[in-house]
Amino acid sequence: MAQTQQAQVWLDAAASNVRRRLRLALAAAITGTVLLCLQAALLAWALQQAIFEQAGVQELVPALAAYLLLAGLRFLLAVRGRRASFEAGQEVVATTRKRILDHMRRLGPVWLTHQSGGARITQVVDGIDALAPYYARYLPQKAASALLPLVIVATVFPFDWVSATVMLVSAPLVPLFMVLLGDAAERASQRRWLSLTRLGEQFFDSLRGLVTLRLFGAGQVRRKHLARASDAYRRETMAVLRMAFLSSLVLEFFATVSIAVVAVLVGFRLLWGDLDFFRGMYALLLAPEFFLPLRALGALRHARMDALSVATDLDSLLSQAPGPSVQAAGPRSESCMTHAAVALDLKAVRYRHEADRGGVLDFSLSVPAGAHVVLVGASGSGKSTLLQLLLGFLAPQAGSIRVDGADLSTLDPAAWRRRLAWVPQRPHLFAGTLRDNVLMACPQADDAQLERVAAQVGLDSVLQALPAGWDTRLGEYGHGLSGGQAQRVALARALLRDASLVLLDEPTQQLDAGSAATIQRGLTTLRRDRTVIEAAHRLARALQADLVVVMERGRIVESGTPEVLMHAGGAFQHLLEAEAAA
Amino acid sequence: MKARRGPMLRLVNVLRRYRGWMLLGALMALLGVLAGIGLLAVAGHFIAAMGLAGVAGVALNYFTPAALIRLFAIVRTGGRYLERLLTHEATLRTLSGLRLWLFDRLLPLAPARTGFLSHADLFSRLRADVDRLEHAFLGVGVPVVVAVLAVPVVLVVQAIHVWPLAVFTAGVLLVVAIMLPWWLVHRGEAPSVAIAERETALREGVDDLVRGAPELMLYDAFERRQQEVEAIAARQHEDRRTLDRLQGWSSALVPWTAQAVAIASIGWATVAYREHALQAADIAMLALLALAVFEVVAALPEALAQLGATRLSARRVFALADQQPVVPDPLQPAPSPQGFDLVVRGLRVRHAGMSEPVLDGLDLDLPAGARVAITGVSGSGKSTLVNVLTRLLPCEAGQVSLDGRPIEVYAGDAVRAKMAVVEQRTQLFRASLRENLCIAAPDASEGAMRDALRIAQLMPFVETLGDGLDTWLGESGVQLSGGEARRVAIARAVLADRPILLLDEPTEGLDADTAAALMQALGDWSHGRSVLLISHRLGAVSRLVDCVLHLEGGRLHPWRAGGPPA
Repeated sequence: MAQTQQAQVWLDAAASNVRRRLRLALAAAITGTVLLCLQAALLAWALQQAIFEQAGVQELVPALAAYLLLAGLRFLLAVRGRRASFEAGQEVVATTRKRILDHMRRLGPVWLTHQSGGARITQVVDGIDALAPYYARYLPQKAASALLPLVIVATVFPFDWVSATVMLVSAPLVPLFMVLLGDAAERASQRRWLSLTRLGEQFFDSLRGLVTLRLFGAGQVRRKHLARASDAYRRETMAVLRMAFLSSLVLEFFATVSIAVVAVLVGFRLLWGDLDFFRGMYALLLAPEFFLPLRALGALRHARMDALSVATDLDSLLSQAPGPSVQAAGPRSESCMTHAAVALDLKAVRYRHEADRGGVLDFSLSVPAGAHVVLVGASGSGKSTLLQLLLGFLAPQAGSIRVDGADLSTLDPAAWRRRLAWVPQRPHLFAGTLRDNVLMACPQADDAQLERVAAQVGLDSVLQALPAGWDTRLGEYGHGLSGGQAQRVALARALLRDASLVLLDEPTQQLDAGSAATIQRGLTTLRRDRTVIEAAHRLARALQADLVVVMERGRIVESGTPEVLMHAGGAFQHLLEAEAAA
Repeated sequence: MKARRGPMLRLVNVLRRYRGWMLLGALMALLGVLAGIGLLAVAGHFIAAMGLAGVAGVALNYFTPAALIRLFAIVRTGGRYLERLLTHEATLRTLSGLRLWLFDRLLPLAPARTGFLSHADLFSRLRADVDRLEHAFLGVGVPVVVAVLAVPVVLVVQAIHVWPLAVFTAGVLLVVAIMLPWWLVHRGEAPSVAIAERETALREGVDDLVRGAPELMLYDAFERRQQEVEAIAARQHEDRRTLDRLQGWSSALVPWTAQAVAIASIGWATVAYREHALQAADIAMLALLALAVFEVVAALPEALAQLGATRLSARRVFALADQQPVVPDPLQPAPSPQGFDLVVRGLRVRHAGMSEPVLDGLDLDLPAGARVAITGVSGSGKSTLVNVLTRLLPCEAGQVSLDGRPIEVYAGDAVRAKMAVVEQRTQLFRASLRENLCIAAPDASEGAMRDALRIAQLMPFVETLGDGLDTWLGESGVQLSGGEARRVAIARAVLADRPILLLDEPTEGLDADTAAALMQALGDWSHGRSVLLISHRLGAVSRLVDCVLHLEGGRLHPWRAGGPPA
C-alpha cells in the first residue's frame, strides 16, 4: 500500500509539466457536456413539437439544424480534447525516457553492465510507453468523472428538480463506489496483472530454453508444467475477478435503477399532468449521461495499474544514487592520435562494492611510463575494479590515483578517457556497420588506417568472408560475429587510438589458442611505447610483463618482475604450479 | 492450403477449441447491448405515451412497458457481468492455448530455426506479438461479432416502423462501421509499421546504451547515442500522433453520424406520423433507437484500427511457427539404440547462406568408454559438431552412426536420450535449483542431486544458499555468475546419467583450481561412459581425456604438442 502511494506520488509529479494540456482536455470535455445539454434540450423540444404540437418537419428544421451544428462542435471538441491528452501522454513518455536515460548515464557504466540487459530494455522501451495511457486517458477521464455529472445535474435542476434530486441522491453513492471499487477491484486487478506477468515470464523463459529442453528430452514435461501452471493461474485469477466484477455489477445496477427511477417519476408526472413533456424528456435524455463518465473510468483502471507498477520500478531506479560524478564531456576537438605514455601512481586506493561483492583495498602501486603491468589473481580479487577505477568509471572511496603527477579526480573524465585504449572481456558490438563499430574509437581515422589496424588484429580475414565487408551491419539483421571476431573488432578500436594508457581485461580469455595468438600479435603492436595495465587469467601473459602484481581479495599480496616472482616461493609461484599441474 | 488462408482465419483455427467460450462471451455481450438499446427505446416510447395519455386524460396500460424496462435493466446489468466473466475466462484460456500451441511448434525447430530467441529485440517482439494475439479476441473479436449481430435487429425494428429510415441507417452504418474502419486499416498501416520499426531501433539503441555503456563512455559516444535514441523516440511520437489523429477523428465521427441519424429519424417519423402511418410515441422511440444503435458500432473504428497490427503479429508468429524442422524424425523410427559407440565418417555441414562448409570430411571415433577432447579456433565448427551429433542439425554429406546404425534411423529423442550435454550457452530456467537440476531426471532423489552438485564442485556454493536446493534462480532470486551457471549445467548433465557426455567449454569462467577439481571429479564419475569434450584451450580439461584432436579446416587432426599448426 505504501508502495502504491509512493508510486502515485511519482505519477503526480511527472504530470506537473503536462497540466496545461490536461486542463485543455478537461475544458474540452466540460464544454462538450454543456453542448450536450443544449442538444438534449433541442431534441426534447423537437420531439415535443412533433408529438404534441403536430408540427410539420419544416417547423422542426431550425432546431434540428442547430442540433446537428452542436453535434459538429462536439465532434471538434472531442478531436481537440483527444489531441491534447494524447500529447500529454507522449510528453510524459518523452521526458521520462530522457530522465531515465540521463540517470542511467549518471549511474555509470559499471552499474549498467551489472544490469540484466533484457529487463532494462523492457523498462525503457515498453515500461515507459505504458505510462502514456494513464496520462492520455485515465487522468482526463478521472477529472471528467468528478466534474461532468455536476454539470449535468446543474442543467437538469432548473427544468426538473425531481430528476435532479434523484441524481443528487445517487451521487453520494458514487464516491462510495469509488472506494468499494478502488479497493477490491484494485487488488484484483493487481493480482491479475501479477499472475499474467508471471505466467508470461514462465512461458518465454521456456522458449529461451527450448534447446536445453530438447537435449534432455524434457519438452513434454515442460509443456505439461506450463499447461498446469496456466490452468491454476486461470482458476485463481477468475476467483478474484468474480469478486471484482461483482462490485462493478453493483455500480451498474445502481446506475440502471437510478435511471429507471428518473424514468418512472417522469412518466407518472407526465401521466398526471404535473410535468410537460419537454422537461421530462430532457431529464431522461441526460440521466444515462450522468453515470457515463464513471463507467468509462472503470474501463480504464488497468491503465492506472500498469502506470503504478511502472512508476514503482522507475522510482526505485531514479532513487539510486550515482557513484562517482561523471562530469560533462569536454571539447571534442582534441585528436585521438597523439598521446605520450603516462606514469601512474596509486596510493592506498580503496573501493568496496556494495553487498560485499569485492573491490580493492589499500592498493598502492607505482607504474613508470611505458611499463607493462600484469595483474593476476582469482576472479573476484579486484582486477576488474582496478581497471574501472583507472577508466574513471569508479572514483576511489579513499586514496588517490595520480597520472603524471596530476590527481585523476581533477582531470576532465572525457579528456582522460580519450587518452585510453581498452579491450574488455566481452566487447559490445553496436547496432550499425562494422566500420561504425571500429571508427567510433577515432571518428577522424581514414580508410588506410582502418585497413592497417584490421590487418594488425587479423580482422582482414573476417572482412573477406563478409559480402558487404566494412559495411556489414552488425546486430539485429546482420551477421553475428563469434566471440573471437568480436574481440578483434574491440582490439581494432583500441589500436585505432594512439593511447597513452592501454587497459586490457583478460582480452583472450574467451578465445582458443589460434585466435588468442592473432590477438596477442595485435596486442604487441598496441603495447609498443605505451603504459599497459593488463588483467590476466593465463599466467603465460605475466611472464612477459615488466611487473607482475598478484592480487587477492582486493589487496596486493605480491609484486615484482616475473623472473624474481617465479622463484620467490610466494603466491605467484604457487599459481604457476597450479596451472602447470592442470 | 494453409498458406493461402488469411492470418486471422488461421488464428481462429488455432484457437477453435475455445470457440465455445468466445461465442458465449460474445453472446452475453450481445444480450447486454440489445437490452441497453431496448431500454432506451422503450423508455422513450413510454415517456411519450405517458405524456400523451396525460394530455388526453385517458388511462394507460403502463405495466407492460414498465415490466419491459425492468427486464431490460436486469438483462443489461446481468449480461455485462456475465460478459466480463466469460470473456476473461475465454481470454485466459486462449492465452494458454496459444502459448502451448506456439511451444509445440517451436520445440522441434530449436536451435536451427530459433536463433531469434537469443536475440533480445526479436524476442521481445515475439512477446509483443503473442500478447497482441492473446488480446485480439477481446479487443477486436467481441466488438465486431456484437456489432454484426446487433445491428440487423435494430434495422428490422426500424424497417417495421419506417422502412426508408432503416435503409438510410443501413447506408450510414455501411459508411461508418465498414468503409471507415476499412479505410482506417489501410491508411493506418504505414504509421503502424513505422511505429513497430522505430520500436526495433529503440530497443537496439537502449541495448547499446545499457550493455555497451563502458565502451560508449570510453569513446565519448554515450551522449551521441542517447541523442540518437531520443530522436528515434521523437520520430515514433510523430508516427503515433498520425495514427492517433486518424483514430481520434474517426471515433468522434461515429457519435456525430449517430446524431445525424437521430435527426433524420425524427424527420422521417414526423412525416410518417402526419401521414398516420405511425403512432406519435414511436417518434421518440425511433430517435432514441438511432442514438443507441451507434453505440454498438462506436468501438469499431478503434477496434478495427488494431486489426492491421494484429494481422501483422499473426503473420509474424505464423511465419515462425510454419518453419519446417531441419532434422525431421523418420516416419518409422528404429528401436532405441542399445550400445553407444559413436562413429562419424566424412561429415560435411554447411550453415545456411554460407558458401564454405564449416565441417568438411570430418571423421571421429568415439567408441563406448572413450574420452576425446577437441580443440579448435573460434568459429571452426566445434559447437556445430555437437549439434549434429545430437540430431539438432542435419549434415550435407557423410554419416554419423550410433550403435552401428546411422542416426537418421532413430527418433531424435532416442539419440539424445543417450547423451547428456553441457551447452556452450548455459540455459537455466527461472525456477528453483532443484527444478533446474530435475529437467533431465524428474524423479532424481535428493541424494543423487547432492552427488551431482558435489561432482560439479557446487556443494560449497549451495551450502551458502539460504534455501539450499529450493533457492530460486534468476531475476527474482539468486543471480549466478557465469562459472556457477556452467557448473549447475554440469550437475544437470551428471544427474541425467546418460552414457555419452558432451561438454562444450565446461571450464569457461572457472579458475584453475576449481577447473582442476571439477575435471578430476568428472573423470572419476565418467568411468565406463564416453566423453567428448570441446574446448578452445587445453588446460585442466586434458586430465579428463585420453586423446586430443584439433579441429581445423573442417576436419579433425591429431593434436601436435607446442600449439596448433600455424
